[in-house]
Amino acid sequence: MSKTARTSAREKVRAEREREQRRAKRQRQIVVPLVVLVVVAAVVGIGFYMARKGNETGTYAGGLAPVTVQPDGSVVMAKPGVEKPVVEIYEDFQCPGCKELERVNGATFKQLAAEGKAKVVYRPLTIFDPSQKPIYEVSVRGAAAARCVPGDKWVQYHDKLYENQPVEGKQGFTPDELIEYGKQVGVTGAEFEGCVRNQTHAQAHIKASDELKKSGGLQGTPTVKINGQDVGNQAFTADGLKKAVADATK
Amino acid sequence: MTTAARLGLAAVLLIAGWDKIGAPARSVMAVEAYQLLPKGAAEIVGYGLPIFEIVIGVLLIVGLLTRLAGIVTGLLMVAFIIGVASAWARGLSIDCGCFGGGGQIDPSQTQYPQTILRDVAFLAMAAWVAVKPPGKLALDTVLGLGGRSDDDRDDTSDDDHAAPDADPKE
Repeated sequence: MSKTARTSAREKVRAEREREQRRAKRQRQIVVPLVVLVVVAAVVGIGFYMARKGNETGTYAGGLAPVTVQPDGSVVMAKPGVEKPVVEIYEDFQCPGCKELERVNGATFKQLAAEGKAKVVYRPLTIFDPSQKPIYEVSVRGAAAARCVPGDKWVQYHDKLYENQPVEGKQGFTPDELIEYGKQVGVTGAEFEGCVRNQTHAQAHIKASDELKKSGGLQGTPTVKINGQDVGNQAFTADGLKKAVADATK
Repeated sequence: MTTAARLGLAAVLLIAGWDKIGAPARSVMAVEAYQLLPKGAAEIVGYGLPIFEIVIGVLLIVGLLTRLAGIVTGLLMVAFIIGVASAWARGLSIDCGCFGGGGQIDPSQTQYPQTILRDVAFLAMAAWVAVKPPGKLALDTVLGLGGRSDDDRDDTSDDDHAAPDADPKE
């Protein structure tokens, strides 16, 4: 074989190899990102699925622990003698997040109280500002009406309010509606109707709300505190809440 | 600079995602508080955003698909800025829900300007990452995903190490 022929053969091989390398690089630049994107999509999909699963609506069909309305407007649900841990729920009947909390863990609160594992305290307040109309009025009307309800029906009425929560910014919780919810849970009578129509407890509720907001330590609604400590995210899954209560019992 | 921006954004995204991921109900609630999306869409964002933030954060840390991750982060920030600005403009009083939390708060506790300024800073960092990827210590470099060969630095030698099987010696 002549020298030139050898050189050209070698060059041909090298050119071939370079082409091969370029091709491999191109391929890698397509394949690797594709693989990464598929993995990303899979991880996001799994995370999404698990998030959905962790967000199931809670259910509790058993009886309730005794419920008593306190002079300050808070409502205690606890078996006699159960003093701690204290689970406090700061909520606004017009706040969508509170409805969300109720949906996920309303059942858990009832169960914890009924099993004597916690003293549950509902602390309804109006988080909104008077300038925020109509959500402020809706919130106050709902909460004032709840104060007209005796302890043995209060939690049922509370649940009705969330069930019928008006879309934020729309009118709702009209006196007629509030009286109707009462009928649905077995609260009737002229006294109740008058109490709702006259908004007898509105001022007391507003005063209590302002005090709760001023007292500090309240980031917003909904907030769940166990023995005075904001439990944050844990309150928003059934398992998280049960664990937080168990930890506080130790 | 790119590396610092990458790691900074990654830390922000990972913390933000992690703070939200344990509590889907709260995450959905935070999205709903903005009152921008219909119920179903708010749920999708509430479920998906935390894990999405974490995945993008991981991509930024390891420097994989850096440019795309930078662009996506930038788009996220734009969406957050729009959301917060619109909540502010509509007079809502909500927690931005950026790092967990969310929902209605007392009007005196809103932090819209601070949040927007912060997100604008993050947006600038994301833009930098998108324009000048991938920075140091990036898997993109190792895997030869740089794309352009003109700013190779030591790209070529890395390349040979990364893919020795690509040239079978005769």
